[in-house]
Amino acid sequence: MTKAAPRYTTRSKVLVMRETRSAYLFLLPSLFFFLVFVIFPMVLCIYTSFFDSTMGKNVEDTFVGLANFREMFSDSVFLKALRNTFVIVIVSVPVVTAFSLWVSSAIYKMNGKVLSFFRCVFYLPVVTGSVAVTVVWKWMFNNYYGLFNYVGTSTGLIEKNINWLGDERYALACIIIILLTTSIGQPIVLYVSALGNVDASLTEAAEIDGATKFQLFWRIKWPNIMPTTLYILIITTINSFQCFALIQLLTSGGPNHATDTVMYYIYYTAFKLYRYGYANAMGVVLAIIIALLSAIQFRVARGK
Amino acid sequence: MRKFLATMLAAAMTVSLVACGGGSNGGSSTAASDAPAAASTAAEAGTAAAEVSTAAEEVSTPEATAEPVSLTFWTYPVGGWGNSDNVDALLASFNEKYPEITVTMEYLDYTNGDDQVNTAIEGGNAPDLIMEGPERLVANWGARGLMVDLSDLFADPEAADIYANVTSACLSPDGNYYEYPLCMVAHCMAINKTIFEEADALQYLNLDNHTWTTEDFFKAVQAIYDSGHTNVAAIYCEGQGGDQGTRAIINNLYSGKFTNPEHTAYAVNSPENIQALEELYAQDGINFDPALVGGGEQDLLRNNTLAMAFCWNAASQTKIPDGMDTYGITDVGDEIIPMNFPTDDGKVELCGGIWGFGIFDNGDQAKIDAAKAFIRFMANENVKDAVLASGFFPAHSGVTDVYAGTETADVMAMFTKDFMPNLGDYYQVVPGWAQARTAWWNMLQRIGSGGDVATEVEAFETEANTAAGQ
Repeated sequence: MTKAAPRYTTRSKVLVMRETRSAYLFLLPSLFFFLVFVIFPMVLCIYTSFFDSTMGKNVEDTFVGLANFREMFSDSVFLKALRNTFVIVIVSVPVVTAFSLWVSSAIYKMNGKVLSFFRCVFYLPVVTGSVAVTVVWKWMFNNYYGLFNYVGTSTGLIEKNINWLGDERYALACIIIILLTTSIGQPIVLYVSALGNVDASLTEAAEIDGATKFQLFWRIKWPNIMPTTLYILIITTINSFQCFALIQLLTSGGPNHATDTVMYYIYYTAFKLYRYGYANAMGVVLAIIIALLSAIQFRVARGK
Repeated sequence: MRKFLATMLAAAMTVSLVACGGGSNGGSSTAASDAPAAASTAAEAGTAAAEVSTAAEEVSTPEATAEPVSLTFWTYPVGGWGNSDNVDALLASFNEKYPEITVTMEYLDYTNGDDQVNTAIEGGNAPDLIMEGPERLVANWGARGLMVDLSDLFADPEAADIYANVTSACLSPDGNYYEYPLCMVAHCMAINKTIFEEADALQYLNLDNHTWTTEDFFKAVQAIYDSGHTNVAAIYCEGQGGDQGTRAIINNLYSGKFTNPEHTAYAVNSPENIQALEELYAQDGINFDPALVGGGEQDLLRNNTLAMAFCWNAASQTKIPDGMDTYGITDVGDEIIPMNFPTDDGKVELCGGIWGFGIFDNGDQAKIDAAKAFIRFMANENVKDAVLASGFFPAHSGVTDVYAGTETADVMAMFTKDFMPNLGDYYQVVPGWAQARTAWWNMLQRIGSGGDVATEVEAFETEANTAAGQ
């Protein structure tokens, strides 16, 4: 006997229509803000990138076609900022992912209070205001009375004070270290949750079959936490590409552009030099790079 | 219930409409007397007429019979002129004499102020009056033909004692004056007296007039360094904060210049400036610090890390450190002495700020006349109070004792006598200023990283002059 298709009465159709309408009405406010404050600025950004736009400093914007994009690739500061940004991404994404997975693997089986304590400790830098965190780090790296110089000279590790944030050799590394401390909190929380959700029957069965710890992780847990890994990779990549506040608060891109990132250079070009068209062109290029990398990450992860 | 909700909604809408209609721009306030405008409104509405007529009778001056004029006045935070309490008191004085002129204030900040003004200009809603310095009033809006020529104000006898370099800063290359000055400040440097004493370096200072020579400056730095104080001074170059200090020390050491006399091009690439930079870089105890700005440098002087600071002024000198009860000392109580920058020829040229009023040409002669009356009142008749409100120094040499009887009278008198006369050429009106400032601290960073001084100075000048359209 075949199952009869549900019969929609006139009354139920009215109900469905009413619910659909209500759903759209509920969506409307957020849709409005999304369109006005996200989509519209994006479109405006792309549009302005083809103009020599100073948004009011000069009255007329001039259409320049692809000139802003061409200028970008002969602008040594932009190229340096792009290189620095890639260094930050290449270092921070694997380190954040690996470190947070390692920490999560070590703590996810602990009892509730201990687990909460560790989650709290690692998540604290995330919920602490970035300005407060940065001020403390700036003090620790200070050339004249910073903690690192004090400890270094007291223990004989360094002969004299090092201008950590003012020396091209160390400044970018300092930025990356701070970025790591503020980036690992969320991945750890996500990994702890993902590892806790791996089906225990699978791991028990593998253990009975004689699987080693490495095999257990690589064959059972790793595939199960792959969606979480993918998410962490993407958000860490995007956050690393968009590194701005640290640069703004700590080095202003210096010394000698050693810590300039694309995001900071966009801000600087737009709001200090009033070259909105050029800044928007850089924004478009940055968005394309992030989108391409995210797509690659998706494809690789999906393949696995 | 529905009726109740509907009634409440209607009431709320009515209240919000009334609130919208009664206010002016968000963030602005009509601080001046509203008597004439309020009178007409009250007459139309038929309410509160008695109160308003009383208010109108209280202000009986010859000008009270003139036609009412409303002015919009936007001010950047020029010292105390960014504080509505100060400005309201000044406007009250103004309205005692000019009750028919209503002034509506808008307080700008330096982060968004330029955008606000430019947006208003493009929208045809530029304010009638504006307060800032020559780099905006003369070099920017004046050069774009947006401002009213104030030559007639400079022809007044009251303008005769305005300092010559201030007058020239207000003069546009087209021969018009687009700013009438009110106040100014000179930026200097400062030293820690105790550290100098301990290093036997006080002998290199002339404390009678707070001057020293280039030779004595370097001798003093070396003496302090040799005494074990390895961080004597810093050429801070993280950003543009306080960059007038680094420009001043470099320009003054061997009488170098920053721009040409016409303020049309940058002139940093000179043997004098290159020599100054090379000697500063080579000097023990002076660090080119790309992780420091002017404010941070002041902190390092205050906490005895540095023996001197290149970013200083009267406001810094009169700041009382936390936990102390007096000014002019470091956090541990050492005396701070303000100093002119060292020179090789005895002719100090301090960088400074000049602030005054400008009028946007909105095509309404009545408003322009009212705005000129406002400027004459604030910058001539009532200049002492107006300058006092700013916390700076008068642009008129004949205006003295502005701070007499105040807590900081001694410091302000010292600055008036030993520093304000040394205010140098006001070159900030040169085109491409924003880009040049950036190029400046980037150049210092490169030199601090070991870059060849002559090459880097040449690169700076090329970049700055390109921005200036040269």
